[in-house]
Amino acid sequence: MSELKWGDRELAYDSSAFVRGSGHYVDDIKLPGMIHMSVLRSPYARARILSLKGGMSSKDLGARMASVGEGASPEAGLSIEPVFATGFVNYVGEPVAAVFADDRYKSTDLLESIEVDYEPLEPVVTIDDALKLGPIHSGRKDNIMVETSKGTDFQDPESPIVIEDTLENDRISANPIEPRGIVTSYTDGMLNVWISTQAVHSVKEGLVESLGISPESVRVMQTDTGGGFGSKGGLYPEYVMASYASMKFGKPVKWIETRREHLASTNPGRGVRGKVKIFAERNGRINGLKGEVTIDAGAYDSGIASFSPGFVAMQMTGPYSIEKAFVVARALFTNKVPQGPYRGAGRPEASFFIERMMDMLADELAMDPADLRLLNMSDKPFVSPMGLKIDAARPFFEGAVRELEYRRESKMSRGVGLSFFVLVPAVYPGESARIIVKDGKVSVWLGGNSHGQGHEIFVKKLINEELQVPEELVTLYRGDTGMTKTGVGTWGSRSAIVAGAAIVAVCKKIKQEVEKEFGSYSVRSLLSSGYDEFINNELKMPLNSFGANLATVEIEKMGRVRVKKCAAYYDVGRALNRDMVIGQIQGGMAQGIGQTLHEGLFYNKEGQLITSSISDAGVPLAEDLPNFIVNIVENRSFLPHGAKGLGEAPTVGVPTALTRAIESVSGKRLRRTPVTPEELMK
Amino acid sequence: MSTIKIRTKVNGKDVEAEVEPRTLLVHFLREELNLTGTHVGCDTSNCGACTVLIDGQAVKSCTVLAAQANGKEITTIEGLSRNGELHPLQKAFLEKHGLQCGYCTSGMILTSFWLLKKNKDPSEEEIRKNLSGNLCRCTGYQSIVESVKYAAQLMNEKEVEREMAVR
Repeated sequence: MSELKWGDRELAYDSSAFVRGSGHYVDDIKLPGMIHMSVLRSPYARARILSLKGGMSSKDLGARMASVGEGASPEAGLSIEPVFATGFVNYVGEPVAAVFADDRYKSTDLLESIEVDYEPLEPVVTIDDALKLGPIHSGRKDNIMVETSKGTDFQDPESPIVIEDTLENDRISANPIEPRGIVTSYTDGMLNVWISTQAVHSVKEGLVESLGISPESVRVMQTDTGGGFGSKGGLYPEYVMASYASMKFGKPVKWIETRREHLASTNPGRGVRGKVKIFAERNGRINGLKGEVTIDAGAYDSGIASFSPGFVAMQMTGPYSIEKAFVVARALFTNKVPQGPYRGAGRPEASFFIERMMDMLADELAMDPADLRLLNMSDKPFVSPMGLKIDAARPFFEGAVRELEYRRESKMSRGVGLSFFVLVPAVYPGESARIIVKDGKVSVWLGGNSHGQGHEIFVKKLINEELQVPEELVTLYRGDTGMTKTGVGTWGSRSAIVAGAAIVAVCKKIKQEVEKEFGSYSVRSLLSSGYDEFINNELKMPLNSFGANLATVEIEKMGRVRVKKCAAYYDVGRALNRDMVIGQIQGGMAQGIGQTLHEGLFYNKEGQLITSSISDAGVPLAEDLPNFIVNIVENRSFLPHGAKGLGEAPTVGVPTALTRAIESVSGKRLRRTPVTPEELMK
Repeated sequence: MSTIKIRTKVNGKDVEAEVEPRTLLVHFLREELNLTGTHVGCDTSNCGACTVLIDGQAVKSCTVLAAQANGKEITTIEGLSRNGELHPLQKAFLEKHGLQCGYCTSGMILTSFWLLKKNKDPSEEEIRKNLSGNLCRCTGYQSIVESVKYAAQLMNEKEVEREMAVR
């Protein structure tokens, strides 16, 4: 029997362990008899597998992946990725077979022993290919995965100004510094899984569905998780393989992703094109918006890929009161790794489309971009034709223009970019929490898992506020499906909102229990007794918030962009912890700069991935970045604890402000991210 | 596979071991010595999560064979605190929130340790330049730069105290 002997201290989420080097990441786990798994991956973007000898493959495990995690939809299913390639490979990096050995050196050696014959086929690499060429999956008539529309179609209004353009965000690898990884162990009919994840429940549901095993026979436990940014929210083929292997061999199995595997095989984000047409009056008032959104979804439906088109389309009027809008949106199959969520996941794309168009319209009319934006805002709440609900926008953004010192900045320099946005957090369907009070201590589990956001800090604060328990008596444990019956996950700017609300709800329940038992509530009574309460706290209403960014730049030799100023003005609701809020925003701003200037996953005409390292992928360095200016506005939400979302705000607002700043200095019309030095030198 | 014998000093302790010639130092530290505070983040020597000190110099331990550490002195993150007391850099990273997910932290601290040994009062620009071999995906680096500055201040204060005590 192999078990992990971690005590209470090891299971608690404790960020002070990280400075000592005593964290508990998945690769730190060592179990007796544990074997290491390596995965053989497709070297072709598209090929028929003629023969395959050696290793574990689809002959052993013909399962298909379950659609779980962020954006997963019940409609998905026709085009779900197989755990191992079955008959064909459809992207470079697709798992073909797996091998197992005592250590990672030997399992890597064993990859050489697998023999595969491929017959290469013409790949569908780009969005244009996907529209032009035949379907990559036989049995389908074209490469359209899903097609949807938002708003109501309308006849082109009689408008003196009509502008139209096509805008694009390249794909980006999430690149958390810790790659993905899993350890599985099957003992006495129980599959125990330790994993670096944003959502233990997604992984559990996925394994149950993919392997056809009962929910009672799987326990998924989160290890310290070295960043996720969307990439660790759901199920991946390797998780099913490692679980199956531990059941088959009766030994614990470890798989740790390499960085090259991460670039090739972990679902990247973005990869979206928008064609937008704006109808406006000469005074700048917009009469209508029409659009087409196209998602480069990759070879299979990861869940978010079929959700994204409608989600991007829905947000395309931004914070503006545009009365007529209609957007057609589709996701297309290509022979690339399936697209997934990356910090923002549809929000930055929609904002890039509307904000670029606002700047272009301002240029067309020779108006100030801020004035044009404010002109198209309302003093009252507004529901867009596509169903986006926003509060009164104009008062907030007038404040933003003032606090970001936009007028002064634009007098001083040419290279100023300003962006306005509305953040749509993933509130639905709420979150779960469990609190156990025992031996004078309070132990907490959440349905979604911290991986650096500081959940432990707001958990302690809210429990102290609700139950007056001293913070040092409260411990937040890492995600564990053995301790929470159900749960969702950490993504979509949701945790402070939904996990916070769940904590408050459990506290209220416990308080009532104490009152029932003792007649009145006191922290002394609470700690002297024992309680164990779990709540699946449903939240289904939108809780959108506003934000604005300002950026200024210089363009140096060889088209190198230096970011001089990068400032934010965000409504974060009640900031549960100011330092954590600022830390989240600074980190997100770095990612926003990364997307704009350096980051991308690039494929050649044959569908070969030519981005081969984390540096090639453009993750920003310390010397690339400025100090950030963060202004937070605390307009409490209607929830008892007052929180709003914020984690993704910077990846929505920074790319648009920064692209405009570069456009203003360079005088070149910019239509895509990343903005490369080559483009600026042209 | 044949093995070779190495002798090193790791965090002040003498270590003798038989290793395969191809064993990377980072895997030797993590898997043979259970010093799991040193992390692996990439396979191309870019990210710096595996940074350790070899004879006082910051080195990416994924790019060094264990055999090359023969006869050398290695310090990992586990060897930084003395008698349970955190090193000023460790204190500073905690206090100034120089970390979120924690995965790059060991490498950041050891590279900063080396920097502060060479330069007791580095400017912001010098800190950013010296940390450019260490990637962080969470913080945007600003809080890390503040942590290093604060650590420099703590270390200089400590030195002044020590000098005062000697007098």
